[in-house]
Amino acid sequence: MTEGIDLTTSCGPIALRTPILAASGCFAYGQQFAAFTDLRALGGISTKGISPLPRFGNPLPRICETTGGMLNSIGLENVGVEAFLRDKLPFLRDLGVSVWVNFFGVDFETYVDCARKLGEGQGIDALEMNISCPNIKKGGIEFGTVPEVAHRLTRACVEVSRVPIIVKLSPNVSDIVAMADAVQKAGAAGVSLINTITGMAIDVRTRRPKIATTYGGLSGPAIKPIALRMVHQVARALPDLPICGMGGILSGEDALEFLMAGAHCVQIGTANFAEPGACVRVTEELRALLGTLRFPSVRAAIGSLEAHAAEPEHLVESPWSGG
Amino acid sequence: MTAAQFEVRVEANRRLSGGYFLLELAAAAPTPVADAVPGQFVMLRGEWGRELLNPRAFSILDAPDATRFSILAKAYGEGTRRLKRVEPGDRLVTTGPLGAAFPRPVAGVRDLLVAGGVGLPPLHFYARMAQRAGLSGHVEMYYGGRDRDDLVLLDDLAAWGVAANLATEDGSAGVRGYVTAALSPRLDAAARSGEVVRVLACGPTPMLAAVRRLVLERGVQAYLCLEENMACGFGVCLGCAVPVYGAKPYRYCCTDGPVFDAREVRWP
Repeated sequence: MTEGIDLTTSCGPIALRTPILAASGCFAYGQQFAAFTDLRALGGISTKGISPLPRFGNPLPRICETTGGMLNSIGLENVGVEAFLRDKLPFLRDLGVSVWVNFFGVDFETYVDCARKLGEGQGIDALEMNISCPNIKKGGIEFGTVPEVAHRLTRACVEVSRVPIIVKLSPNVSDIVAMADAVQKAGAAGVSLINTITGMAIDVRTRRPKIATTYGGLSGPAIKPIALRMVHQVARALPDLPICGMGGILSGEDALEFLMAGAHCVQIGTANFAEPGACVRVTEELRALLGTLRFPSVRAAIGSLEAHAAEPEHLVESPWSGG
Repeated sequence: MTAAQFEVRVEANRRLSGGYFLLELAAAAPTPVADAVPGQFVMLRGEWGRELLNPRAFSILDAPDATRFSILAKAYGEGTRRLKRVEPGDRLVTTGPLGAAFPRPVAGVRDLLVAGGVGLPPLHFYARMAQRAGLSGHVEMYYGGRDRDDLVLLDDLAAWGVAANLATEDGSAGVRGYVTAALSPRLDAAARSGEVVRVLACGPTPMLAAVRRLVLERGVQAYLCLEENMACGFGVCLGCAVPVYGAKPYRYCCTDGPVFDAREVRWP
């Protein structure tokens, strides 16, 4: 039965064979996973965030585990756009899966520069613009938290990019819809929701923060309810904006929750560390679950959430309320 | 040798002194861990649900045949506390073998194996491999711990004919003090006699830093097996950066190490 289920989907103009992508920062540039899993079974891969110049990352310790998740402050370490195009992209291109290159800059000019340079690469399906990493010191915050700034930056990158730009938004804002609206109006083909949530952990034995930069990005199932809520809010408010959902997906059921909330596709991040075959397992679990729940396709499940029926008013009214 | 992820069953969970436990693990079919060499490690995770996500890294203590291997550990955090409670028949997921090993024995060079506390496994494995290769006389063990109970598996060394030089902080076994107290006169004696020695060390970071100072002062070649927090173990999370001298400020404990040349490590 489940063999016949259509897993194809799309994120705006980007066609996907399955809705499951590997998330940026949790899959490097893909090669390490080849020994463990069938990379061709993925819907796509979002690369480690690329900057115009190589970055060496943050001091130690960079990660620690917390209940149902982990904190990281890697510091956007990456090989830089030049080495990426030369050494990493050919491998990804040859897989035949959707290649999303996550990128960032340290200021306005370097963002635009990176988007332009990545345009020289062959076989890139989308750029995923990271305006939300909590782990760079300089300027980064405004790009991800002030709608007007995000709008300007997105517009400038869209103008120089040869491929669609998906903007990865920060959950560390008070109004996620305003951010999504701003980047959509600037020409973003979609949004990735959500990046990590800033957090902290303390080692009481040493009286030090558990990671060197004090605060880091929280990921894993601990953040899933927040991610789902944000996907749902944006999907409801901006029905024409394609959403790639992510945040603590470990199972096919988790993935389906995101699809029902309105995501067109999802990314799997933290789960890849413990289980390099996580993306493929989740794909198979999703396929089976869609069959069980009698969805003929992924597309039929997207946004299929039903609201709870409102209770008739006369039952809600308290008999003791008088009047 | 390519790493794989596979399931193992607990064959035995041996409680040793000092809070140590030794897990004997077996897979249903041959695994690449069979070819592991001392210094390499595995990632282990139990059926921990959603509360505790990431596997934990353990140096391989032994890989006696195609399907079995063992690790030695001590409960420190939640992951190791749970592993300490496993029982025969319980299932664990293993990824491995991972990382770069200690260099192999070299003719004419005597290996001084320096272990501190939980750093014993790769050096115990090295001594075992030396014994299997008929090279017991080629290695000497320097092994330090808090007290007598903190030193485990000493019978093995005796059975293999490997000389064991012990140090305890309370003096209950061997010399009183840190393992460097036992090591430094040995390095001085080698320098005086012109004997060529090499140091292979694993243990807590302060101990490794002390060993590093000793060998650098004396120009002795040394390799340190390090430990860092890691989420994946195969070069993806980039959590386990090790500060190094060279073109780049960091290398990775999981894929470049865990064994590093002592001269390369950038410690004060």
